[in-house]
Amino acid sequence: MSTTTSTETSARFSAFDRTTSIWGPITLGLGLLISLAAALYAAFGAGMGVTPLELVTAVGAVLATFGIIAVIEPVSYFPILGRSAMYQAFLIGNIANKLLPAAIVAQANLGEKPGTRRAELIAGSAIIGAVLVHITTLILFVGVLGTWLVGMLPAPLIATARSYILPAIFGAVVLQSVLAMKSRRTTIVAVIVAAVIVFVVVPLAPGLTYFATALAVIITIAASWFARSKAPQAPVEPAAGESAQATRISEPTH
Amino acid sequence: MVVAAVDPGSTDITPLIHHPVLWASAVGVFAVVILQSVIYFKAIRKAAPAADLTPAQVSSSVRSGAVAAIGPSLAVALIAISLLPLFGTPAVLTRIGLVGSAAFDVAAAGISAGTQGAQLGGPTYTQKIFALAFAAMTIGGLAWMLTALILTPILSKGDAKLRKVNPAVMAIVPTAALLGAFFTLAFQEVLKSPVHLVTMLASAAAMGVCLLLAHKLRLPWLREWGLGMSIIVALSAAFLMTAAA
Repeated sequence: MSTTTSTETSARFSAFDRTTSIWGPITLGLGLLISLAAALYAAFGAGMGVTPLELVTAVGAVLATFGIIAVIEPVSYFPILGRSAMYQAFLIGNIANKLLPAAIVAQANLGEKPGTRRAELIAGSAIIGAVLVHITTLILFVGVLGTWLVGMLPAPLIATARSYILPAIFGAVVLQSVLAMKSRRTTIVAVIVAAVIVFVVVPLAPGLTYFATALAVIITIAASWFARSKAPQAPVEPAAGESAQATRISEPTH
Repeated sequence: MVVAAVDPGSTDITPLIHHPVLWASAVGVFAVVILQSVIYFKAIRKAAPAADLTPAQVSSSVRSGAVAAIGPSLAVALIAISLLPLFGTPAVLTRIGLVGSAAFDVAAAGISAGTQGAQLGGPTYTQKIFALAFAAMTIGGLAWMLTALILTPILSKGDAKLRKVNPAVMAIVPTAALLGAFFTLAFQEVLKSPVHLVTMLASAAAMGVCLLLAHKLRLPWLREWGLGMSIIVALSAAFLMTAAA
């Protein structure tokens, strides 16, 4: 550092901040627009006869279920990722299972902890490395090999994979979430609320089917809030607490 | 050939899931990710001396990130392959591979199909249901991008206030939302048929074994492979049950 003047240092950082605060949002926004265009084309452009009301209903049911998580995740990742890497992470996805470990390993290799400018640059570099590997794997193993493999498999096998993929995913995800969240109270509340809604409320009032999941989410949040332990929480070291929480809430989503 | 085969009521979804427009958007998203990485790499290289980082250290960070991502990337690839019959290559590459995640996107697709009284994968899974499910899970996933776009500048300016949100709220709300959603989705599957029930139990059991072994034998990689392996085990169980019937 002795050879670098402080003006030069801050000039380099502000150049970095300028580039990433312009190109970060532009690239993330581009990804958003391309995805939106594909979604709208599938619904309205491909001759499928989906009406705007049908799409709004479906999107509404999805957002009513997951919308609150979509707001909370970015807030809880921010302290670990830092501003510039936020635009990388939310374009690329797989944050908790891939990007965060990559960033933390790279920081540890250079003896840096999250929160400094140096750590931010290291995290950005590590994410770039992770992206290269991820994209290559996806194109090779899923795009080429996977597509070929699925084309080779006999039709009954494909039919089974299609029909039973939901329970095959949800069984594992439910167990993983329960163990990752480590919250017995909320788990019990969620089991009771979900069971009452699926096995009692919906059979009695079939009109609620569309929004059963959203309803369960809202009631589980409210009930868990009132059933929460009122004991004052032990003060946790902020960085550790935040990263633990980010890992926790993100397991089953992004 | 593709356009001619489009038929909203048909359960042969192949013409739609491999539609050229979906392929074009998948290529587009990959191109944007690569563009972003190039821009960021240049910016990081320029700023590096100010943070006391040599070019060699930047390269080694890229390398450590790449190495750390090999396991998780292969694990995601396995999950993605198992979803190819349901959603097709372009949708899986963009939604499951990038941007989204298996659990969220499958849940979102299932919820969307439900608003039409249909189920994913079964006899009610027509081209129209795929179109609606794909559109709704994509637009639902955009909520994350949108909040990241809106909240990042706010958090980096005056983040103190937002970060001081009651820690109990931050701890309870996401946990309750996720558990409430996934238990409801799981119970709804149970109602569909006994095969659905057993498939789900097989999946949970396989995940339990993976997590237990990961813990006992100190094999952290088993954790990230857990979902992919559970899907394979559960689908094998489903296949044996339906083949025997």
